[in-house]
Amino acid sequence: MRVVYLHALRKARGQILGWGLALFLLGLLLMPFYDSISSQSEQLQQLLEIYPEEFIAFFGDFSEFATPEGFLNIEFFSYMPLLLGIFAVLAGSGLLAADEESGHLDLLMGQPISRTKMFLARMFAFLSTAAAICIIGWLGLVLPLPASGMDLTPAQLALPFVSVLAIVFLFGALTALLSLLVPSRRLAATLGGVVLVASFFIEGFSGMITELEDVARYLPIHYYQGGDALNGLKLEWVLALAAAGLVLSVLALLRFQHKDLRVGGEGGWSLPLLGRRRKATEAGTGD
Amino acid sequence: MSQDLAIEVEGLKKSYGSVQALRGASFEVRRGEIFGFLGPNGAGKTTTIRCLLDLIRPNGGTLRVLGMDPQRQSVEVRRRVGYLPGELQLDGSLTGEATLRFFNDLRGRQADPAHIRRLAERLDVDLRMPVRNLSHGNKQKIGLIQALMHKPELLMLDEPTTGLDPLIQRELLAILEEARQDGATIFFSSHIISVVERIADQVAIIRAGEVVEVANTQDLLSRALRRAQVRFREPVNLQEFANIQGVKVLNGADPRSLLLQVEGDMEPLIRALADKPVIEIETERPSLEEIFITYYAAGDKEVE
Repeated sequence: MRVVYLHALRKARGQILGWGLALFLLGLLLMPFYDSISSQSEQLQQLLEIYPEEFIAFFGDFSEFATPEGFLNIEFFSYMPLLLGIFAVLAGSGLLAADEESGHLDLLMGQPISRTKMFLARMFAFLSTAAAICIIGWLGLVLPLPASGMDLTPAQLALPFVSVLAIVFLFGALTALLSLLVPSRRLAATLGGVVLVASFFIEGFSGMITELEDVARYLPIHYYQGGDALNGLKLEWVLALAAAGLVLSVLALLRFQHKDLRVGGEGGWSLPLLGRRRKATEAGTGD
Repeated sequence: MSQDLAIEVEGLKKSYGSVQALRGASFEVRRGEIFGFLGPNGAGKTTTIRCLLDLIRPNGGTLRVLGMDPQRQSVEVRRRVGYLPGELQLDGSLTGEATLRFFNDLRGRQADPAHIRRLAERLDVDLRMPVRNLSHGNKQKIGLIQALMHKPELLMLDEPTTGLDPLIQRELLAILEEARQDGATIFFSSHIISVVERIADQVAIIRAGEVVEVANTQDLLSRALRRAQVRFREPVNLQEFANIQGVKVLNGADPRSLLLQVEGDMEPLIRALADKPVIEIETERPSLEEIFITYYAAGDKEVE
């Protein structure tokens, strides 16, 4: 299992560097702006009064913009579930399906490793990759911290990333499950992406459309704390998200243990209307 | 379940949706033999091998590999088997050496690095090159080395000669013969009949998901139809030959020349020719290919 884990982690080096550096630079560029914004809080308040109500409702309480928590929430953490959610959807859908579709999984599973260990090694590698990206992003906030006027500790800055990680785990597990159920990785990523984006916007608009509040309560993003976590992590929310991710992971594992591994896109299902086309393609799958 | 058997397949069925890839295939592979699994594309060869390694789950039938149930003891089966997939895909970012090191690590370093180097030299492949820069044939060699490197008890090779030039094919067949001499069982599929004919002790012919023949390769060749051309010094009565059991006269226009089709033993024909003024006899030994085509032609007639 260790060999597969290290191999998967090695293959994720590009993702760690790409996503991690993007977050790192974002944090590094963002932090110096806080001091100038906090010194102009009155002018900012006047500016905010002319913003549409919907805008303020979507992005949060702008009256808090001049506080470190409000500033970091609006400028950094509020859209982190969407940003790293995209990473989660892409990485989760490719957890096993990418190698399955390329045909590489056939050779890998021809080696003496159980399906459970293969799945767990890949899932742990995915979580390690997400954690590494968050750590690099966190460093982007921590390094300029001493030079800024923010009265925050590095430990405090780490708390919202715990909430981000829980969301990433959930969406990664969801798309991993979908990729083992639907015929293609691309479809799984699309479905996961639709759930992610819809959750994000429903949660955002639930502040001004009361009917959406009931829906938002059942969506994962509702339990994402964002910048609020700087004042203390709601552990029950993190655990709820992690538990949902765990349930989806177990379902994905059970599915992987029992499914036929495809080679070159064989198998899968199709809509009845596409049945004729499918029969034609299946003719080449029996060898 | 016999201890002498490396593979036992009984009534194996596998469907992909409405398509039946295997329709009750049955055969056995004895330990220490080279077994060729012969059939055209789409006949069910790859599906059978993937069922034996628990990569796909059959819809019916029983399977034993080295005396084990491949579903219940899949890890142990794969520990003792060397597998080459029919559609080999390797991680293009790794070099050949790193690829083999990774697979060796997965096997708990069962393989001796010196043995890996020897195999690479014999198959003439540069392990320092990234896999993505290798030709199809050289990737196939990496795949073959990963299957052979840990000296498995049983080799399952799906179309092993694909992409290899004739010289390397010959070297590979020599390596497989040596592996057999060291006690390994070799089960390989191919649609290239000459390869099967050159190396296999036993051969199974699979047609549309059913095994239609399992036989010793030489027996299969000897019991097949062969042609005989006989030339006489003076005209003879050709009708005499039409009455010999297993003999069919194909060309009777010239009384000094005779073209015959002989099924099975040649002895009755030779006895009949003993008192005739024979100048020359030529017999054509049938190739496995002709036998293979015979099975497929027979199958087509059944369908009609």
